[in-house]
Amino acid sequence: MSAAPTVIGTPLDVVDVKGNSMTLSMGPQHPSTHGVLQVVVEVSGEIVEKAEMEIGYLHTGIEKSAENLFWTQAATVIERMDYLNPLGNALCYVMAVEKLLGVADHIPERARAIRVLLAELSRIASHCVWLGTGGIDLGAISTFFYTFDVREDILDLLEQSGGARMHPNYIRIGGLNGDLPAGFLHRLDALIAKFPQRMRELRALLQNNPILRDRMIDVGIVSGADAVAWGLTGPSLRASGIAYDVRKAFPYCGYERYEFDVPTRDDGDAYARFLVRLDEMDEAMRIVSQVRKELDAPGPIMIADPKIAPPPKETIALSMEALIHHFKLVSESFRVPPGDVYQAIESPRGELGYYVVSNGDNRPYRVRTRPPSMYNLQALKLLAPGNLIADLVVMIGSLDPVFGEVDR
Amino acid sequence: MPSSQVPSIAGTALDPTAVRPPIDDAEIVRVAPAKLHAKLEALRAGGFSLLLDIGAVDYLGRDPRFDVVYHLLALATSPSTVASVGVPRRVRVLCGVGGTEPALITATDLWPNADWAEREIYDLYGIVFTGHPQLKRIQMPHDWEGHPLRKDYPLRGPAREATPRPAFALKSNVPAGTPPAGNVAAALQKRIALARGQRTPDGAGEKS
Repeated sequence: MSAAPTVIGTPLDVVDVKGNSMTLSMGPQHPSTHGVLQVVVEVSGEIVEKAEMEIGYLHTGIEKSAENLFWTQAATVIERMDYLNPLGNALCYVMAVEKLLGVADHIPERARAIRVLLAELSRIASHCVWLGTGGIDLGAISTFFYTFDVREDILDLLEQSGGARMHPNYIRIGGLNGDLPAGFLHRLDALIAKFPQRMRELRALLQNNPILRDRMIDVGIVSGADAVAWGLTGPSLRASGIAYDVRKAFPYCGYERYEFDVPTRDDGDAYARFLVRLDEMDEAMRIVSQVRKELDAPGPIMIADPKIAPPPKETIALSMEALIHHFKLVSESFRVPPGDVYQAIESPRGELGYYVVSNGDNRPYRVRTRPPSMYNLQALKLLAPGNLIADLVVMIGSLDPVFGEVDR
Repeated sequence: MPSSQVPSIAGTALDPTAVRPPIDDAEIVRVAPAKLHAKLEALRAGGFSLLLDIGAVDYLGRDPRFDVVYHLLALATSPSTVASVGVPRRVRVLCGVGGTEPALITATDLWPNADWAEREIYDLYGIVFTGHPQLKRIQMPHDWEGHPLRKDYPLRGPAREATPRPAFALKSNVPAGTPPAGNVAAALQKRIALARGQRTPDGAGEKS
């Protein structure tokens, strides 16, 4: 290797130079870090010798905020953790609270079906973002437009159902905020009909693309043993040959009623994680079309308990009881029996868990998140050394971190 | 029993033997800090190979004050089908820790992913994990004072105003306690002072 070039001025990126190795700061504003990750890499030429990650740039104290809000209000800030899968966060937290309330078995069937529908649509939307941005990392910019087209259709559906594209606060303790509006199922049918063709296009564009294969195959290999030791979950774990999926192992929300497969790969590299996620999008749509068949029959979407469910707006002016319940729910909310519970769901990134503690008050005593992104991202310490800087970008993309969740 | 409007007096969170609803979410093990590491090692040897999470809860007013909560999952390293995974067992290990300088032994030698989880608990609760390779703040800036998730660290109100505000500093590459320096920091402090309607050294912001 030739001598280090003469540097004029103070280069902003170079943190340190020692002999042939150089310490560089990558991020936190680097576009391929998928958010605000800073990786301080020690490189020798192009080879990464050591990667030290700095997180916390997006720390917003959501867990602390949740302790100071009513049980129902806390769901709104919790939705903002994983901003690519807000409904998943809300679903997991809400199910934990329902378990503490002892009402988990009384949630109406229709509400549960709609929850599954939205969770799976969110999974597809989240994987669309991962695929689009991951494509940009590798120079495949057109992928972004294909995937965001599908995502836009899904966000339209979320907007229609909950009233907002990103954080609808639609899933409530006890059920849902309201029933699906007129025209929702029609648009859902259109999406279900359009989706297989879209997936065929994406696969044709990417799956056997020689550039993508070159960039991803044998990059960032995680063995099954390493994946377990580092606590990987979700597609990253299943790409290492371990078929652990919370939806199958600990079914929630009625997932046991739907037929779907858990895609796995044995190679454990970035390409395997890519394929697992692609297959997962197909499986998610399989669940969506099964749920769709259950949605024609009307039914209640909120639990009947007036201490938890707010009364219908029309009744408030007519019924004294409804007025009192409404006033109580708004002014001091409801109380949750003391206890602690761990509830997990399969988020697009892996096992998302909430450990919720109640002391019998109308606010959560503690809401601890098990953030799948954080544990998945941590495995970069294992993957990075000995590889090229360019591959670091592929590895970060293939682990699919979301920094709202890593930093909370 | 859904939501009584009367707060429950018995078995609040301050009570370690709190009455909890019968929820079958995990097997629960409570250990003393001295036996924690041996217990975790035994569980790991007994098949609980995946450390899901380490969290903490501050039961202010209780002795011991904190609970550190480990969630483990019994997952074999080569089940390639859903059927062979089956229903893996979950265990929750609770360890009470208190005193003026709460400390536990690290689990990073058992599971490498305990690293960030323990750093986060140190950062937000001030619980020290002895033997941790580099125990430093992870979410808060490195020069932050106090541990925000403690119950006596207020979110807002007069007490929040009374807690010392840390000096502005870049998050990384700056050792704790380094005073802000350079043009960026000076400009920022000037802007803050202007926003507060205070005088700045060069007289800007002075009310005429």
